[in-house]
This record gives sequence, structure tokens and C-alpha cells, in this order.
Amino acid sequence: MRFTLIIFAIFIASISIVSAQGIGSGGTIKDDGRFAASTKQLNQFFRRFNGEESPTDGNTRFYPGDSLYHNNALRQGFLQILFDNQTSSISRDLKDQFTKNVLSEVYPQYLNFHRVGWYSEVQAEFTFKGKRESATLILKIQPEGLGYEWVIDAVSFPPFKNLFNKPVGEEKDFLHPLSHELGFMNLRRAFQDSKVPEAFTGSTFHPDYLTLFLYEMKQNNIKFITVNDVKFHFFQIDGWYFEVSQFNRPGFNTGWLISNLVKLNPGDKETIEKYIYDQK
Amino acid sequence: MKNKLILFLGLFLASSVVVLAQSDDISPARKQAIDSLALEKVKDLSKYIAIIGSKDTQFSEANRVMDRAEELFAPGAEMGVSSINSNEIAYYKVRRYFERLMALNYDRVNITWYDIQYISDLERQPDGRYVGVITIFQRFEGTSIETGMNYKDTTKKDITIYVEKKQTQIAGRTIEFWDVMLGDVRVTETSA
Repeated sequence: MRFTLIIFAIFIASISIVSAQGIGSGGTIKDDGRFAASTKQLNQFFRRFNGEESPTDGNTRFYPGDSLYHNNALRQGFLQILFDNQTSSISRDLKDQFTKNVLSEVYPQYLNFHRVGWYSEVQAEFTFKGKRESATLILKIQPEGLGYEWVIDAVSFPPFKNLFNKPVGEEKDFLHPLSHELGFMNLRRAFQDSKVPEAFTGSTFHPDYLTLFLYEMKQNNIKFITVNDVKFHFFQIDGWYFEVSQFNRPGFNTGWLISNLVKLNPGDKETIEKYIYDQK
Repeated sequence: MKNKLILFLGLFLASSVVVLAQSDDISPARKQAIDSLALEKVKDLSKYIAIIGSKDTQFSEANRVMDRAEELFAPGAEMGVSSINSNEIAYYKVRRYFERLMALNYDRVNITWYDIQYISDLERQPDGRYVGVITIFQRFEGTSIETGMNYKDTTKKDITIYVEKKQTQIAGRTIEFWDVMLGDVRVTETSA
């Protein structure tokens, strides 16, 4: 603990004496420490979380074999500044439990860029049949060819929300169990007479909104306008979920920070994922 | 004899994969060299932006500098710009972005850079090239004498870099080197 304090005392002190090593030596402005403190990229969030860079400005990358690589005291200091401490209502106790869990001497846990268990949620604007609409895209990293790529895993698009409302109970129409004896001539009921042909699908039927979305895009009915917001969801730490969002505001607690933290009980992960994916 | 031949072939093939893998990997020392090269390119871009944005620069000279600046970028690169008041990103082709910069109606334009930057790890993409992001902070100040208007902003620029191993012939010898090109740039106005 004392070592952590020493490291961070040096960090804070050094912020004001960081030498000018910026882009243009002539026309550079000295950072007052705010940009140095900011978690400027998600890459830096990973490095800070794992204890893989120098605490002053992140200019030194620590690799396996370096003395401070994955150093627990370094990580403890970093974890304190990786939370949104201004707007999010994550209790001190929950943060402490999380930190203790992550920095456990017997089973320390790290984030891994290439491993499953994290993904991105992107809010984007489109026009759909001439009207402006927001969509939520879920993207994840996957291996491809010689490296990796981000791919679209799911989409939630309000105009598709009530497109498929399968009736239940007495309201649900059906093909009677001897339809086959008539060569399914009653399919007319599903495809011609019914306004809800999904009533005739199996109990495991789930509309694939991404396919539908791409189809409408190919038909030129959906056109991309812009991206509005990006955040990340992490399930890589055993028993925990956290969300990382970007905070662009004055002060030192800025950049990519933990905006939500949940200790997971059995079944919670599925509930949260269902909520994030919003496929109903 | 046949078994020995198979063993030899097996060992040969295994070692050639290792050599290939080693040559495609980027060591920490190599990464540092690539970072320096990438920063040089970003530094060049910064200088070009300052020249293009300055009213003192002649039209023909600005066009020449725009050509040089464009050469730093991979084909099709875009600038995505957003402001404090709107999260919506406006997209411009690099050339168009420079032209807009040149057309700004300020008598005096001062572009400076903060002494802090961040260089990400390099990740390999499906085609084998490596990609990284350099983050820098820029301060823009424009003054119009006639209207007395003075506009200031600080932007964060996240600049994509593509890193590729290339070959060239020098005096009959094949020399391998790592080349860096700039890609899409995300420009975000900060509250600083």
C-alpha cells in the first residue's frame, strides 16, 4: 500500500515536470497534467488495468520480464483512476471488492484484447425509408486471416421492434396436425389470410434482426449517417461485469473510464447480456 | 534412410515457419523504432496543417503542401470531426479537410500541439498489415482583424497508422524495411 502511494506521489509530481517531447518542439504547449492523466485510448485502459505502462505519461510500455510489468502496486494505483469518479454511482465498497478480486495475490486477473468476454456497443444514426432512426450495434473482435477484425454481432433497430409479434394462446392461429394429409393446402392460411405469418413458426423461432437490417441496407432502404456514441462491456473478470464509457469533460478524471460495475450472481450475466443485446 | 529423410524434412519445415513467424513479429525494440517513424509522419502532418491553415501561405504553395500532406495518407483516408455541442461525426476526405482548413476566414491562424501523445500497441489485421493509433492534442486559434472575432479550440486527434513490411532493391540487394502510412483521423473537440 505504501509502495502504491509512493508510486502515485511520484506520478502526480512528475505530471508537472514532464519534459516537452511532443509533436513539434517549437510550437508545443505544456500539458498541465490533464491529458497525461486522461485514459486517452481503450488501449491505454487495457494497459493501465493490467499494469503494462509507466504511470507518468504512458510513454514507456512494460513487457513481460520488465520489473514493473503487471506489478500489483502499480495496478492498484491505476485502478483508482480508471473509475468515473464524478458521475457514476459505484459505491466505494463495491470498487474495493472489485480491486481486491482483480489484484488477488493467488489469482490476479487481467484483461485480454484477443480473448472473448468483451464487446462494443455502438449507437449509430441511419435513415430508414427516408426517416432518421437510431440503431444499436454490438461489435466483437474475432480472428480472421493473418490477424483480427471487429465484426457486427447483432443490431437493435426500433423500426423492427414490433415487426414480429407472435400471438399466444387462443389468438394464435395454426396448421392443424393432419395438414400433411391434404398436401399442406392450408398453407394459404399462413401466407395469404394471416397478417401474422410468424404465428405459424416453431416455438424456437427468433427473428434475425441483423439479417433483416442488412437486407434492407442492400435494398437501399437503410443508409448510414453517423456514429453517435461508443461504449464497451466487459465480462472477462470472473464474477464481475463492468462498462467502460468515454468522458470528455474538464479535469483529470477523463477519457475511457469504468461507468458501471456489477458483482455477478448466478444468472446475472445472461440477464445483462440479454439487456445489452436487446433482441426481443 | 527414408525415416531420416522425413525427419530432416520435418525439422526443415518446422524451422522455416519459426523464421517466418519471427520475421513477421514486432519486437519491443522494433515497435519503438516504428513508433518514432510514425511520430515523424504525424509531426510532418502537423507542420503541413499549420502551413495550410496560415493566411500568409500563398494559394499555390498551400496546394503544393496539400499534395505533400496527402501523400502521408493511405488511399481513401477520412477525417471524422465532432464538436462539444454535437456527438455527430462529420466525415471529410483528407483533401477536402485541408481545403476547408485553407478556406477558413481568419487573418491569423495559430496551431500548436500539446507535449503529450499516446501510441497504442500494434495489432495485426486480416491482410497481415499492422495497425495502431496515435493520439495527440492540438490547439487552434484563429483571429479575424476586421470582425475582431477570436476563435479557440482544443481537439484530440486519434490518427490511424498502418505499418507494413516492404522490400526494395539497393545495388542489387533486397532490403526489407517497415513503412508507415497514416489512415483515418478522428478529431474530437475537448472540454479542456
